[in-house]
Amino acid sequence: MKDQVSLYNKIFISGLIILASYALIQFHNYMDGYEVAILISSVFAFSWLGFSWSNFKSYFTAIFLLAFLSIFLYQGNLLIVEEVFLLKYFLSSQSAIMWMSALYPLSLIIYWFHLFNSQDFSGRLASSLVWIATTLGTSGLLIRWYESYLINIDVGHIPISNLYEVFVLFCIITALIYLYYEERIGTKKLGAFILIIINIAVGFLLWYSFAKGAHEIQPLVPALQSYWMKIHVPANFIGYGAFAIAAMVSMAYLIVDKGWLTKYLPEKDVLDDMTYRTIAIGFIFFTIATILGAVWAAEAWGGYWSWDPKETWALIVWLNYAAWLHLRLIKGLRGNLLAWWSIVGLFITAFCFLGVNLFLSGLHSYGEL
Amino acid sequence: MSSMRFAITMLSFVGIASIIGTILKQKQPYESYIIKFGQFWFDIFRHLDLFNVYQAIWFLIILVFLITSTSLCVMRNSPSILRDYQKFQDKIREKSLRSFKHCYEISLPSFNKLDLISLLEKNNFKVREKKNTSNDLLIVAKKGSFQKLGYIFTHLAIIIISAGGLLDGNLKLKTQELLGLKEIQLLDLPLSEIPSKNRLESNNFSYRANVLLAEGEKQDVGVIPSKDGYLIQELPFSVGLKDFNIEHYSSGQPKSFESDLILTSKLTGKIKQQKISVNKPFTFEGVTIYQSDFQDGGTKLNILITDLQSNDKSQPMKAEIFKTNNLIYMDQSFSFEFDDFRLFNILDIDSSQKKNSKNVGPNFTYKIRNESGQANEYQTYQLPMKLDGRYFFVSGMRATPQEDFKFLKMPADAERDLDGFLIFKNLLLDKEVIERAINQVILSSTSSKDVNVNNLKLSTSKLFKTFQQGGYNQIALTIDKNIPNQEQESAASAYIKIIHLVANQVLLDYKKNNTLTDVFELKDLSLFTQDALNAYSDSFFYGAPLFLELKDFEHVQASGLQLTKSPGKFWVYLGSMLLVIGIFCMIYVQEVRLWILKKKNSKNILLTLTTNRHHLTFDKYANDIKNKINSLSKKG
Repeated sequence: MKDQVSLYNKIFISGLIILASYALIQFHNYMDGYEVAILISSVFAFSWLGFSWSNFKSYFTAIFLLAFLSIFLYQGNLLIVEEVFLLKYFLSSQSAIMWMSALYPLSLIIYWFHLFNSQDFSGRLASSLVWIATTLGTSGLLIRWYESYLINIDVGHIPISNLYEVFVLFCIITALIYLYYEERIGTKKLGAFILIIINIAVGFLLWYSFAKGAHEIQPLVPALQSYWMKIHVPANFIGYGAFAIAAMVSMAYLIVDKGWLTKYLPEKDVLDDMTYRTIAIGFIFFTIATILGAVWAAEAWGGYWSWDPKETWALIVWLNYAAWLHLRLIKGLRGNLLAWWSIVGLFITAFCFLGVNLFLSGLHSYGEL
Repeated sequence: MSSMRFAITMLSFVGIASIIGTILKQKQPYESYIIKFGQFWFDIFRHLDLFNVYQAIWFLIILVFLITSTSLCVMRNSPSILRDYQKFQDKIREKSLRSFKHCYEISLPSFNKLDLISLLEKNNFKVREKKNTSNDLLIVAKKGSFQKLGYIFTHLAIIIISAGGLLDGNLKLKTQELLGLKEIQLLDLPLSEIPSKNRLESNNFSYRANVLLAEGEKQDVGVIPSKDGYLIQELPFSVGLKDFNIEHYSSGQPKSFESDLILTSKLTGKIKQQKISVNKPFTFEGVTIYQSDFQDGGTKLNILITDLQSNDKSQPMKAEIFKTNNLIYMDQSFSFEFDDFRLFNILDIDSSQKKNSKNVGPNFTYKIRNESGQANEYQTYQLPMKLDGRYFFVSGMRATPQEDFKFLKMPADAERDLDGFLIFKNLLLDKEVIERAINQVILSSTSSKDVNVNNLKLSTSKLFKTFQQGGYNQIALTIDKNIPNQEQESAASAYIKIIHLVANQVLLDYKKNNTLTDVFELKDLSLFTQDALNAYSDSFFYGAPLFLELKDFEHVQASGLQLTKSPGKFWVYLGSMLLVIGIFCMIYVQEVRLWILKKKNSKNILLTLTTNRHHLTFDKYANDIKNKINSLSKKG
């Protein structure tokens, strides 16, 4: 068994290295030094993730196989999508993301079923569906990346530049963080809660896509043309995703605290601990993302801090969770207050993520409605 | 003041102030605030500095309090933390060891001190041993002491970041203002007339100034906008703009813009040529130069002015953006103020749901001011736009900046030119042409015997005259006055039909007589007539009836640069690094203290573990350590 795992690890890492080397050899003319650095460090990051989390390896392999299959089917021609069955209904970015949008609601239902009947099978089914949905969503983004280059070589960019794309990113990152903790704490009961927030995002995504035609790929404005985007945005969304999970777990905590569903949900201690852990990981990434944002702002806008509405709200979010962690770590506070607080924190986070784009204008107005 | 409650209160203030600053749009022109809130609230808000929260004195004072409070907190707690960091707690008694939750008594007959210590060291513990007076052995071990340092790191980081921020803030300027050494200039003066009170010297250690350069221009000062005025920042060098380039995507959105700069040091005379673009700034003599935006730099325009309501010949005019032209027309003097020219305009003109933004070509913005000083603002597009399947020349007008533009849409002719409409307008205003057309229309639609023919002619030309004088609106007024209510609607539609018939006839005649021009070779001439009549009628709502047609232009661009000196940046970055390290220590380093007490005569040992943060995983961890120690006995 152990040999098998280490063999899998070896194959996985060799695969990563081969892919990265291929990218380096083939495309180094299009990359600047920072992008080469990002590529190399991503090999380390994903190796480490694969090493410490076995399912991640399968997920990562699957998204790449799907993305390559799609690229193979496209044959460098964007218009072919209408003719190739597999592309049209499955492996064009839009279709893959639609499949993701269909599977998340389904898994939500099954998680709720699992919450009450506790069968192993229903839990495994729900998790598998989340895995599949996440795989498709991620492949969808990767394919979108490729499609953007097919539109025109100068339009091509990593698909995390507008509200539509980051909503997909939010869904998959939140799902991944949840899946990780699902394995760690050994219960699938919390999926019933976490999947709610993911599905709210899916709902928004669908509305945004159908009502506003937001899924169209748009070229990048000059300010966004920077390697910083590749680090700043994902780091931010790990933060957002983790805070969202913390809020949903806190909701479960409050429900258990009321004495409801106690037969079905994990104990309060477990919930409390998971809230802490997700807020902690979210806080670290959010801090790093905000700092990187400041460094990028210094380069693009001429100042590391301009009190732009997005920056200011990021600061408010940061202060909020800093206070939360203070109370928890230094004052040793536990219980209802912190649970409520983390739920309120989600609203503050949501305002920073979405509200600023909806209601306030500023330098960050990349995703307007 | 060093209490956490005080710090949290201050932090909440910062939070609330920040929220106000995001909701109330900052640094807008003061007039727009007056319009929005009214004079009363405007004055209150201004006194509270709410239009400039983040530079307000009270905001800076809160920040200073925060730094002081955090510093005091660090100073108070650090010594004990540092002491703790080094200290092994070896003066602990058996009774207190037993009182901890994770305390185990393990039977270890083959007790080997060295094995035990190496086991602990393998698990990342630092180990000390101590014999007490009764010769009992106490092994004291600890790991994860960095967690405690995390506290110092994070709080120190906050102080360093805030201090760096304050260094780049405008505390110095604020003080100078309070002392009366510097003041904000409110008037738009030529550079040479701006007194030194409004100027900041080039040795100013921190600033963010703007420079706007037209192509070929050179400057050695920047402008710092401040409240409702500005200050001038002297630069240690001059900046010249050799060339400015914009690239566009095929859809017309800007893809990149870059400036070719020539920098000349005032001190050494050193000259440096440098290209900068968005995301690629350049630092020269300690000042970093950023590409921030671009605008018009005085584009030269060739314009044809046409009176839409008379037959007068169009007049050419040469104009330049940011300049004013005066014109006396019909005994009135008008001034034309040209404000902006834009080469690319991405508009979403298709009314269908899907996004379909495309470039509709150049437009220019200008005001026409009459003798009494009143002005209407216009925005006119050079090229015709496709609307509802037909091409129109579009020009927007508004009386105040708060309104949206109302658009005048003049149909393009068969050659996508405005000439067709202008010919049509001239014909429409030509009495003879109209009379002829009326005759023809009436002849073809009534029998010649009809006695009423003359009456009909008379009333039709009267109707037409009304239209000439004020368009459909004028006709509606006449109908309102002269025709009973119940017949108004049918009369209106009959009138519109007649006007359209006559106008169409005018065009048909013109086509017959001018076979050389193709401007009216349209698929649907009657639709053109209808659009042209609408346009003529709408011209009565166009402010002045003067339409400015842009014939050609010589594009001059200006590059917006930002020049920044920011000595605090280094400290902010340093603090940020410390912050990340600190948070990492605080969250991911688990501090564990461990004691093993071996009584001289006992076969058992007493193992105690504690941590200052009780996470769920600690139970498991303590158990693991216990088992490892247990297994030592088996080995032995």
